[in-house]
Amino acid sequence: MSTSKTLDPAQAARDARPARNEGLKRRRRPDRRPWRQAVLRDWQLYTLAILPLAFFAIFRYLPMIGNVIAFRKYRPGGSLFGEEWVGLRYIQLFLGDPTFWNVLLNTVILGLLTLLICFPLPIVLALLINEVRGRAFKRFVQSISYLPHFLSTVVVAGIFIELLSLNGPVNRILRSASLDPIAFMQEPGWFRTVYISSELWQTVGWGTIIYLAALTMVDDQLYEAARIDGAGRLRQIWHVTLPGIRPTIMAVFVLNTGTFMAVGFEKVLLLYNPLTYPTADVINTYLYRLGIVSGNFSYAGAIGLFEAVIGLIMVLSANLLSRRTVGAGLW
Amino acid sequence: MHQVTRRNVLVAIGALALAAACGSEDTGKKGGGAAAGKDGAMANYGVGTQFKATKPLTFTMLHNIHPAYPVKNDWLFWSELEKRTGVKLALTLIPFADYDQKKAVIITAGDAPMIVPKMYPGQETPFVASGALLPVSDYVDMLPNFKDKVAKWNIQGDLDTLRQEDGRYYLLPGVHEDVWLDYSLAIRTDVLEEIGMPAPTTWDELYTVLKAMKEKHPDNYPFSDRWNIPTPGGNLLNILAQSYGTQGGWTFVNEHGAYWDGTAGKFVYGPAMDQYKQMLQYLNKLVKEGLLDPESFTQKDEDATAKFTAGKSYVIGSNAQSLVNEYRPGLAKAVPDAKVTKIPVPLGPAGNVKVGTRLENGIVINAKAKDSPNFVAMMQFIDWLWYSDAGEVFAKWGVEGVTYAKDASGDFKLNPGVDFLGLNPSAPKHLQKDFGFSNGVFAYGGTTQLLNSTFSDEEKQFQNVMNGRQTLPVRPPFPLSEAEREQASLWETPLADHVQQNTLKFILGKRDFSEWDAFVKELEGKNLTSYMDLVNKAYQRFKQQHG
Amino acid sequence: MVIPKINAADRGTRGQRIFRRFNVVFLTGVVILTLYPFVNIIARSFSQNGYIISGQVNLLPRGFNLTTYRIVLTDPLFWTNYGNTVLYTVVSTLVAMILTTCYAYVLAKKHLRGRTALILIAVFTMFFNGGLIPNYVLISSLGLKNTIWAVALPNAISVFNLLVMKTFFESLPPDLEEAAAIDGMNTYRILWRIVLPLSKAVMATMVLFYAVSFWNSWFTAFLYLNKLELFPVTVYLRNIIAGVSGGEMAGANGRDIGELLQVAANIQSVTVLLTILPIVAIYPFVQRYFVSGVMLGAVKG
Repeated sequence: MSTSKTLDPAQAARDARPARNEGLKRRRRPDRRPWRQAVLRDWQLYTLAILPLAFFAIFRYLPMIGNVIAFRKYRPGGSLFGEEWVGLRYIQLFLGDPTFWNVLLNTVILGLLTLLICFPLPIVLALLINEVRGRAFKRFVQSISYLPHFLSTVVVAGIFIELLSLNGPVNRILRSASLDPIAFMQEPGWFRTVYISSELWQTVGWGTIIYLAALTMVDDQLYEAARIDGAGRLRQIWHVTLPGIRPTIMAVFVLNTGTFMAVGFEKVLLLYNPLTYPTADVINTYLYRLGIVSGNFSYAGAIGLFEAVIGLIMVLSANLLSRRTVGAGLW
Repeated sequence: MHQVTRRNVLVAIGALALAAACGSEDTGKKGGGAAAGKDGAMANYGVGTQFKATKPLTFTMLHNIHPAYPVKNDWLFWSELEKRTGVKLALTLIPFADYDQKKAVIITAGDAPMIVPKMYPGQETPFVASGALLPVSDYVDMLPNFKDKVAKWNIQGDLDTLRQEDGRYYLLPGVHEDVWLDYSLAIRTDVLEEIGMPAPTTWDELYTVLKAMKEKHPDNYPFSDRWNIPTPGGNLLNILAQSYGTQGGWTFVNEHGAYWDGTAGKFVYGPAMDQYKQMLQYLNKLVKEGLLDPESFTQKDEDATAKFTAGKSYVIGSNAQSLVNEYRPGLAKAVPDAKVTKIPVPLGPAGNVKVGTRLENGIVINAKAKDSPNFVAMMQFIDWLWYSDAGEVFAKWGVEGVTYAKDASGDFKLNPGVDFLGLNPSAPKHLQKDFGFSNGVFAYGGTTQLLNSTFSDEEKQFQNVMNGRQTLPVRPPFPLSEAEREQASLWETPLADHVQQNTLKFILGKRDFSEWDAFVKELEGKNLTSYMDLVNKAYQRFKQQHG
Repeated sequence: MVIPKINAADRGTRGQRIFRRFNVVFLTGVVILTLYPFVNIIARSFSQNGYIISGQVNLLPRGFNLTTYRIVLTDPLFWTNYGNTVLYTVVSTLVAMILTTCYAYVLAKKHLRGRTALILIAVFTMFFNGGLIPNYVLISSLGLKNTIWAVALPNAISVFNLLVMKTFFESLPPDLEEAAAIDGMNTYRILWRIVLPLSKAVMATMVLFYAVSFWNSWFTAFLYLNKLELFPVTVYLRNIIAGVSGGEMAGANGRDIGELLQVAANIQSVTVLLTILPIVAIYPFVQRYFVSGVMLGAVKG
C-alpha cells in the first residue's frame, strides 16, 4: 500500500514537484550530462516532443502573449498583437465601467456559492455511499449518479430549461400546492439557485469518485484503534476518515479555486438571458458579448487579463493554504 | 531553474515569429488595385439597363433562414436570377433569430461574405472604425438606379442620417418612396362584436375594450403579446413609444436611446423622459388589471401565437404577414368563426402622428470587395437587384407568367396556383416558401405602387389610415469618432441593460413608480449625462462641418 | 479489497441501523433526483402539445405524438450536424491521442534532460491561460475559422489526461524497453511495438475521456464555426434552446400551424434525447473505464 501511486488529478499534478526535486538533486551532482550529449543520445525522444510543444506554443502560450492587446489598440483583421500602444487606457475604461463591477461581483458570488455547495457535497455523498453495505445497491447508486457528468453542458441546460419552464414539472408541483408558477429562467432572483442546482445535478455524483478512491486507502488499523477507544461511527468519520482523505480534499479544493473566476461560463451563457443579466452576467459572458459580439477586443482583452491574473493569484494562495494546513500542495 | 527560463524564452521567440508570419500574410492580400476591378462588368450600364455579367460570376452573401420561408436551393429565384444576371450567390446561412448577433460576429472577425444584407440603419456604425466595411458613398456613381431614386424621391436628407464622422456612409439602405409602417396590433373583431364595441383607435380606447373583454372572459388575459427579440416588448414598446412621443422597443435598441427632441433642438435619452414613464404606467395598469398577460414580454413568439390561435387571447402584435400566415390559419382550426383584423396603430398623447423613415434595412459590403477583380460587376449587380424597377419587381413578384401576370391597367396579379399574403388561400404553392420571391432579404423598398401591389384590400385600408398621419422629421446625424464610438458603446450597453430590466419591472409592478426618480438617478450613475453630452457634442460638430 | 470496517457494523447499535435505513432512503432519493429529469424529458418528447403547454406531462407521455420526432429525424440539417459530431469526435480524438501519447511518453523518461521544463510548460497552462479574447483572435488570424481544425486543435492536449498517461508510462517496467533498445529498436518502434501494446487499458480510457469531451463540446464550434452545415449536433441543440431556431430548421414551415405548435412544444426535449442517445446507450458498457481512468493506480502496487 505504501508504494502505491495515486492517479487522481491532485497527485498527477503534484508530480511536477518530485520531478523538480529530482532536478535539484541532480544539479548537485557533477556528472550531469551536457546538453550536446543529451541531444545526441535522446534526439528521437526530443523529436516526439516537437508536435506537442508546437501545440503548447501556438494554442496556449501565444494567446498569453496575445494579452498585450489589453494595452494596445487591436483592429479586427490587423496584427494579432494590436496596432499601437494605448497604455492603460483600457484598464482605466473598465475600472470606470459600472457593468464591470457588477459582473465581477456576480462572478465572485457564483464562484463562492459553487465552492461552498458544489465542493463539499461530493464529500458528504461519498461518505454516505461508503457506508452502504449492499454491494449491488452501492454500485447502482454510483452508476446512476455518474451519468449526468457525461452529458454536454448544452444538454444539461436544455433539460433544466424544460424542467423549470412554466409548464414543467417544478411549476406543476407549485401549482398543485396552489402557489403561483414562477418563470425561473427569467427571474434574476432565481438564477443563482438554478445555476447551482444544475451544477450539483451534473457534478456531485462524479465528484465522489476521487473521494471513494481515497477512502479505500485509509488505514484500517486506525478504525480498529478508534473502535477500541470506543468511538462510534460518527466519531470514527470525524477522527479517522476525514483526516485520512484530507490531502485529497485539499487537492480538489486547490483545483477548484483554479476555475473560480472562470465559473461555469459555458453553462451561464446557455442559461442566462437579458432579463437575468443583473445576477447572471459573469466576467466571461460579458467578455464574450463585449469582445466577440461587439468587437471591443482590446477592452475585453483587458478585462480578460485581469480575470486571468486574479485566477492565478487565487490558485497560488490556495496552494499555499494547502501547504500550510496539510503540509502538501499541488506543487 | 535556468534551463526552464531559457526554454520559455525559446518558446516565446518561436511564438512571436509565428505571429509575425501570420500578420504579414494578411497584409500581403491587399493592393489589388481598384481600377482593375472591372472583370465581368458591363461597359454601359445605366438606369433601365438589364444587368448581365459578361461572364458567369459568383458572389458570397449572408442570408437568414426565415421561419416562415426557410431557404431552399430549388427556389425559382436563384435559377432565374442566374439566367438574367449571370450571377450566382454563394450563401452563408444563419438562423433568423441569431442573425443580428452572428452578423456582427462575422463582420467583426473580418470574415464576412462580400454582401451582408438585412443591416438596419445604425447597426453598421460599430464596424466602421475597423475598416471592415466599404464606404459605399464613395461609389454611388457605380449605382445609377440608386442615385436616380435618391434624386427622384428626394431622399438625400434621410441618407445624411447615415453619415459617419468622416462624412461618408457605409450602409446602402433600402429606400421607400414614402414612409411605410407595417407593425401594429391584431384584434379579434368577433369578440369586439360580442362586447358591442368598435375597434379601438387610441390606447385609452384599447384599455376600455380590453376591460370589457376581461369582464366577458375573466379566465383569459385578453392581450398577450409577442416579439421579444432582441428586446422585450420590441414591437409593443416601439409603437406605444411613438404614440407617446418617446423611444422604446426596437427603435430603442437601434438608436440606443438617443431621442431627437425637435423643440429643444437636442438629443435626450428616451427612457429617462417623462413620456416614457407615462407609457410604462399605461402598461402597468393593463398588467395590474389582468388585461395584459405578464408573459407578454418574455414568451416566445410561438407561445403568444399559440394562445391567440387557441382563442385564449384576443389582441396580439401583428404585421400584414403574421395576420394571414399565422393567426388566420391557426384560428380557423381552433375557433372556426373567429374574425381577426389588423388595426391602425392606436393614437396617444403625441397626437395624429407617425414616426418613420423612408430608409429600410439595407446592405453593407465587405471592404475587401474593392480589391476583387469583379468589384464593378458586383456593384452593378447590387444596383440592379435592389434598386432598379425591374429588379424590385423581380424580387417581389417573380417571373411574369409563372408567378404573376400584369393586367391592362398595369396592376399585378398573382397566378391562380400561387398564394401570398392570403390572396389565393387555397393555392397549392406559395410565392415565398416555394419560389423564393418577396423574400425579406431582397424585396423591400421601392415605389408606393409596387409596395401596394401586394396589399389586400384590408391592408390598403390600413395603409390609407396610416398615410393620413403626419410624419415626424427624422433625427439628425451625430457621427462619432472612433475613440468616441468605443467609449459610447461601453456606456450604451449597461444603460440599455438597465433600461430593459427596469422597464419590465415597472410594467410588471415589481418596482413602484415612486422610484422613478431613483431609476433616472441610477441611469446617471451609469454615465447617462456623459453619454448624452457626447451625442450632442457630436451632433453640433457635424452640423458645423457638414451642415 | 476487504472491508473490515463494515464487519463490526453488522452488530450495529439501534442508532446505526436507523442511520443505515435513512442512508438507503436518502441515496434512493439521490438516484430518483438524478433520473427524474430524463424520465420527464422522455415523456415530454412523446406528448401532444396541448398536454405539454398546460403542464400535465409528468412521468408518462400524454396524448402520444411522434410529429416532432418525424420532423427532426427528416431534417437533413440534423443529420449533417450529427455526422459532423461524429467526424469531429473521431478526428479530434485521433489528434489528441497522438499528441498526448507522444508527450506523455517523453515526460515519462526520467533521465531526459529538460524534462522538468517540459513538464512545467504543460502544467503551467492548467492554471494560467490566454483567455477567451486572445484565443479567439488567434484562431481567426490563423485562418482556422470554419474549418474542422478550429475544433480539433485548440483542445488537443488535456493536461490532466497527459499526466495520467505519463504516470502510467512511468509505472511500466523498464526492462522490456531496455531489451528492445539493445536489440537495436529505435524509440518510435519501441513506443509503437512495446509500450503501446502494454498500455491498451489506459489508452482505451484516454480515448473515452477525449471522445466524450469532444462529443459534448459545443462552445468552440459555436465560436469558430459560422456555417450551419459545419455545426455539430450540440450547436444544433443550442440553437433550439436559445430560441434562434425551431421548426423552420426542420422544414415544418408555417403551412401547417398545428404541426408548428407541436414542434414548438417539444422540439427541445426531442433533440436533447436524440443528442444523448449514443452516450446513454454505451454508458453502461464503458462506465468502468471512466471510473478506472480516475482510479487508475489508486490502489496499485
